[in-house]
Amino acid sequence: MKKINTLLLLILGTCLAMSAQAQNKREYHEMVYDSGCKSCHDQGMKAFPSDNSCLQCHDMAELAEQTKREGHDAKQNPHDSMHYGQEAPCMECHGEHTPKKAICMDCHNFKYPKFKYEHK
Amino acid sequence: MQTRRSFLKFGAGAAAVGALAPLTVSANLSDVKWDEEHEVVIVGSGFAGLAAAVEAGKLGAKDIVIFEKLGVYGGNSTLNAGQACFANTDLQKQLGIEDSAELMVQDQLKSGRGYASEELLRHSAELGPYIYQLTKDCGCIYRDHIINTGGTSATRSHQVIERSGAGFIRPMLKAARGYGVKTKIRHKFEHLITAKDGTVLGIQVRKGYHFGHEDSGKLINIRAEKGVLIATGGFGANVKFRQALDPNLGAEVGCTNARGATGDGLIAMIAEGAMPVHLSFIQSGPWASPDEGGFGYGAGFSLYNFPHSVAIDRNTGQRFMNETADRKTRADLEVLRRDKDGKPNPALLIAPKHEAKKDPSMANVLKYNVAWEFDSVEAIAKHFDVPLKPLKKQIEDWNTYVKAGEDSQFGKRMNMSTGIYLTAPFIVQRLWPKVHYCQGGIQINTKSEVIAAKTGEKIPGLYAAGEVSGGVHGVSRLGGCSTPECMAFGVTAVRSMMKA
Repeated sequence: MKKINTLLLLILGTCLAMSAQAQNKREYHEMVYDSGCKSCHDQGMKAFPSDNSCLQCHDMAELAEQTKREGHDAKQNPHDSMHYGQEAPCMECHGEHTPKKAICMDCHNFKYPKFKYEHK
Repeated sequence: MQTRRSFLKFGAGAAAVGALAPLTVSANLSDVKWDEEHEVVIVGSGFAGLAAAVEAGKLGAKDIVIFEKLGVYGGNSTLNAGQACFANTDLQKQLGIEDSAELMVQDQLKSGRGYASEELLRHSAELGPYIYQLTKDCGCIYRDHIINTGGTSATRSHQVIERSGAGFIRPMLKAARGYGVKTKIRHKFEHLITAKDGTVLGIQVRKGYHFGHEDSGKLINIRAEKGVLIATGGFGANVKFRQALDPNLGAEVGCTNARGATGDGLIAMIAEGAMPVHLSFIQSGPWASPDEGGFGYGAGFSLYNFPHSVAIDRNTGQRFMNETADRKTRADLEVLRRDKDGKPNPALLIAPKHEAKKDPSMANVLKYNVAWEFDSVEAIAKHFDVPLKPLKKQIEDWNTYVKAGEDSQFGKRMNMSTGIYLTAPFIVQRLWPKVHYCQGGIQINTKSEVIAAKTGEKIPGLYAAGEVSGGVHGVSRLGGCSTPECMAFGVTAVRSMMKA
């Protein structure tokens, strides 16, 4: 009996998590949602999308240009940083269904005011 | 279309798979299906792993692979001040610094408090000039200024211009790829695959792993032709593991490490019977700031300024340590700075702006609220609630030590602060230790071979280098001495593999 209860709880938990996930969308990606989950989930729905997934539409060099910083702050460009260059995969800092924080913030008090959906 | 019924079925299936997964770990060798085979298999993309990969390329290995657990390269090695202690380099000679590998070993033995391995330290120190050249050949660029780190009798900490480990990691990653090294992120090392006699044949890796999602990705088996090098770093970021070894290092203590420093490699080697040594010797960094996370900017500021600055207890307004003593001495004293209720009351590092401004670290700490500028002793005393009179007296006394070239209060080596008086305006940063480095790890020999606990002999096919190895430094490691040691034993591991 106890086993069955545990199993039910587990299933219930998964359902809740899944429905929360389904609701948590980025409005600027509406178009992508319209074309179906698989447009990002290229490795099956149970797995994280591949690191190339976002790069179907986004270009790292362009992003680096967009978030370019001058002078003293030049190396704090999150898309072209001193530590990781342009190699940090998108999902290290961005979450589509969960709020996240830039990996830089593990150690630094940087300000990225345009960063959306930050996990506080 | 997923029905509720099919969804329930899926849920139960997933739970069952979860429960069965651990059984695959103890699968018989005859069941092992190899998914990939490589000549040299390296786990970890920090200093040890990258130096090994570059050396393997130089020695003519044709199929070298590096597996990195995180989504980014460099692990903990990219998060530090980018310093490496080398003895007897051309730069030291240019600057008129007399030094030798022997002197470096003696300094480290002292800090190791009787527990360090003279043999391993000597091996590393003697390889120093080779490593220095190897990094330069990879494209790493050193500053003209050599840093005086704590506990050294000669100034020997060479620093890359980025003043960050990134100044080593990125050129070395590029150089490794230039040798055709395959570098793979999101590949988490799960365990060793061994033959019946204990020989390591390969590893199991979780491909497509996302940190913190332990079931993500899929398991693949990697056959290693020449050997496996475990260069997975320390366990400073694994709070349960470190607190089991040192009860003082719970979650409320900060940590400078990358999030991936969880000790997986160490734990997997212990599981295969490797000899663990000195695991409780866990070092905290005395240069860390409580006003930012991780290693941050504060460490670089303190490192540059410790020689010509004073560390002040806020209750007494006085110094409480030699600011360039070894790390353990300083961290142990810093953590005793408490208010009357026993709560942390971090010490103040007071630096003269006229000298601090010569290093780029000053702009960073000021900009990100890790340090602050004050135009008088009175202003510092008022802001931090420090008794003014003793603080004034302390700074006056300090300046007499600078003039005399002798610190009669704590015996600090003063030849790095000649003529650098502590005068206004001041830059002040708070100091509170953070878990930084694990001296302990798996026992290795001077060939980077891993030693078995049962026999005291090497485990064939298995090599370890860097922070995952233990017993090199003893109780306390000196600053700037891990980087060259990681690289020296990474290089050594590959030399051994290619000969075996």
